[in-house]
Amino acid sequence: MKQLKYSAIAIALISTLAACGGSGSDDTTPTPVDDKFEFAATEMITNLTDDVIVSGYASLATKGEEMLLATQTLVSNKTQANLLAAQEAWKAARLPWEQGESHIFGPVDSLGIDPHLDSWPLNTTDLTTVLASNAGFDAETIKGWNDDVQGFHTMEYLLFGDGVADNEKAIAELTQAESEYLMGLAEVFRDYTKTLDDAWQVSHDGSGKAYGELVKTPGSEGNTFYSSQVGVIEELINGMIGIVDEVGNGKIADPFGTSAATADTSKVESQYSWNSLTDFSDNIIGVRNVYQGELTGAADKQGIIDFVKAADEVLALRVGSEIDDAIIKIKAISGSNNMPFRQAISDAEGRVRVQTAVDALTKLQTSLESDVLPLLSKWKV
Amino acid sequence: MKTKLSLLAICVAGFNSHYAFAAPDPVKLQQAIAKQELELKQLKKDLAELAAQQNVQREEQKKQAKVIEVAKQEATESKFSKFSFKSYGSVNYTSDEYYQNVQDTTPERRGRFDLERIVTEFGYQFNDEWDMEVEIEYEHGGTGAALEYDGFDEFGEFESEIEAGGEVMIEKAQLRYRPSDAFGVKFGNIHLPIGLSSILHKPDQYLTVLRHRSEAAVLPAVWNETGVGVFGEVANFHYQAQVVSGLNSEYFRTYDWVASGHQKRFEHVNADDLAYAVRLDYGSFKEGSAIGVAYYYGNTSGNRHKSNKVSGDGTVSILALSGAYVQGPWILRGQYLNGTLSDSDAITQANKTTPGLKPGNFAQLGSKSEAFFVEAGFDLTDFTSIPLTVFANIDYSNPLAEVETGTATKRYENTWTSVGVNYFPIPEIVIKAEAGRQQVAVAAIPDTNFFALGVGYQFSL
Repeated sequence: MKQLKYSAIAIALISTLAACGGSGSDDTTPTPVDDKFEFAATEMITNLTDDVIVSGYASLATKGEEMLLATQTLVSNKTQANLLAAQEAWKAARLPWEQGESHIFGPVDSLGIDPHLDSWPLNTTDLTTVLASNAGFDAETIKGWNDDVQGFHTMEYLLFGDGVADNEKAIAELTQAESEYLMGLAEVFRDYTKTLDDAWQVSHDGSGKAYGELVKTPGSEGNTFYSSQVGVIEELINGMIGIVDEVGNGKIADPFGTSAATADTSKVESQYSWNSLTDFSDNIIGVRNVYQGELTGAADKQGIIDFVKAADEVLALRVGSEIDDAIIKIKAISGSNNMPFRQAISDAEGRVRVQTAVDALTKLQTSLESDVLPLLSKWKV
Repeated sequence: MKTKLSLLAICVAGFNSHYAFAAPDPVKLQQAIAKQELELKQLKKDLAELAAQQNVQREEQKKQAKVIEVAKQEATESKFSKFSFKSYGSVNYTSDEYYQNVQDTTPERRGRFDLERIVTEFGYQFNDEWDMEVEIEYEHGGTGAALEYDGFDEFGEFESEIEAGGEVMIEKAQLRYRPSDAFGVKFGNIHLPIGLSSILHKPDQYLTVLRHRSEAAVLPAVWNETGVGVFGEVANFHYQAQVVSGLNSEYFRTYDWVASGHQKRFEHVNADDLAYAVRLDYGSFKEGSAIGVAYYYGNTSGNRHKSNKVSGDGTVSILALSGAYVQGPWILRGQYLNGTLSDSDAITQANKTTPGLKPGNFAQLGSKSEAFFVEAGFDLTDFTSIPLTVFANIDYSNPLAEVETGTATKRYENTWTSVGVNYFPIPEIVIKAEAGRQQVAVAAIPDTNFFALGVGYQFSL
């Protein structure tokens, strides 16, 4: 009888202890914590590398080749039509480059290709000196000069004129020196874009693996760049944050100033071709490419959105719509009369539209920084 | 003493006179004799006392002489007599106009305070032939970084904080062996005698507020390298010859030619390419009038970390001519620098394509560089009671005087012209003011005006 009582008490005690065990810190078999989520990232990383990044650089290299051809045609046959074709070739090359700024890590940074292609502002004073010297403009020589007299914006200046009153240039205004220098620049440009493309597809340093392979196989033997998938996803998200920050707080904010009086058109990128708003929206479209996992209009594939969805469906859709919203707001800066950005920052109504776009970008940046990036620590790798 | 002797004399005289004129009266005589005997006794006692006193004094003098002797000996043997300490420094206020970017043609004005440098230098004379010197420089207020704990951040966070900008560095650390005036050897971290500012770097040794900008735009200011050199003075000729560590062309940049190639960034200095420096002066720049010539020669490619990027030697050669005329109220100093760099295009190309170097828009290098300055001062002490020197100065530099291919931009061709005053409230302190104009050789870039105030000190123990 007594024995039974003791056993009953013992059982009761044990069961009570066991019930408490769940919250005990010394428990050896933890139940899964609620805030961790599972996601298999391999497919997403592979897709983003091949179908977004590498295909973008391949497209850039192709467009670089086409631009060289267009400038060669222009030099051999100076007609207005050929000048227009060269201008279009420039804009066509600008698109994959600007979209690619949403992932400006890897060879484009380490090989110093970004400044070679896209130095801004252009050094117009030195450019005048270069053109006046009228020496033979071969690609190898040009590569030895400073970055601020070559790349996209130098070519833009030669193709479109100074951009103050309009973004059109008559073929009569194009001097022989200008067209020859343009051709040399296009060749340098083609060489760099090819180097960049090869770095991702063939070898990142001339002897090692292709950079694309390194991104796709984090933690593999001899991969000193990425030790885990966490690192790759972090790089991708930071790349998105980086460009949103640059567009909102740099490319737009610097020339925008605090009022129409302090607006500074000299700081507007792509001002000669009046292509600035296209640049900015392409930058954010580049963010959308990485986020959605496919280029606009292509079949749905895995992107960062799927990683976010695995953790928080609502957040995933919210960020998606914030990206779309930012793109729309940037495009809306041109208003109803197709005003270029360099004019919009000095115009009262234009400034309101610019501010709206900046606000949309700030909102997106906050979401990426404080909602998306922290998910990495909640990801059950 | 004297008084006592005179008393004695008077007494003796008195006694004689007494004896001569008084009638002899035995009783009186006895009394007088007794009295005199008493006086004599007293006198003897006094004399003895005096002698004793003199002895004591002599003893004391001897003692004092001994103390002085010992003190003198101690002074020569003291550790501190062999120790020397010097210091100099300067604080400046500058107001310059600057451009936001290469497109900008409307400059903005920016005023700045700068605790430019505080230098402490100590030395020790081991014996007549061997000595050492170490110079420690604190630039822009030193440096500071700290790890801090922020308890208000989520779960508490350890953050690295930058507390202060600036540098602390050893500018010189040398041993010298100098058996005679005509010949000496120094080794360690030594000053190169190429630019005048490595000879005249104390605030009272140049007239401008900042050291000469022309020199800073082509070679390392107050250039110090590790190596060995011989030096000496023969019949007012001063000579120097050195073998020192070289430059690294990975860090050559358009705006200051080879100056930033000074190997300071890494803990170790690559010494695969050495450099040679010689200098010959007639007279002494530190003491007054002099003329001099200096030459620097050294390869740089071997010191690159990625040494396979440049196949050429990347030879830097610099010729420096300098002169000074300091006579009466006049101070006149000048220097001309001419440098050449071989394989400048190859180095430019290598720097542009070396991952991580990021020379930006400053990759292109001059195959030739040129710079000069002339400063002229006039001391007004003869005309006013205020110790004031007025001066005029011109600095010119062009680190991109020529390029191997194509045309050199004139953007880096700068001329600074200025006038100002140096005021010496006491010889160790100088207060300077300077106003001038900076001109860029490119016509499209407007001239800018600058103004500067500075205070400097120097002393030696």
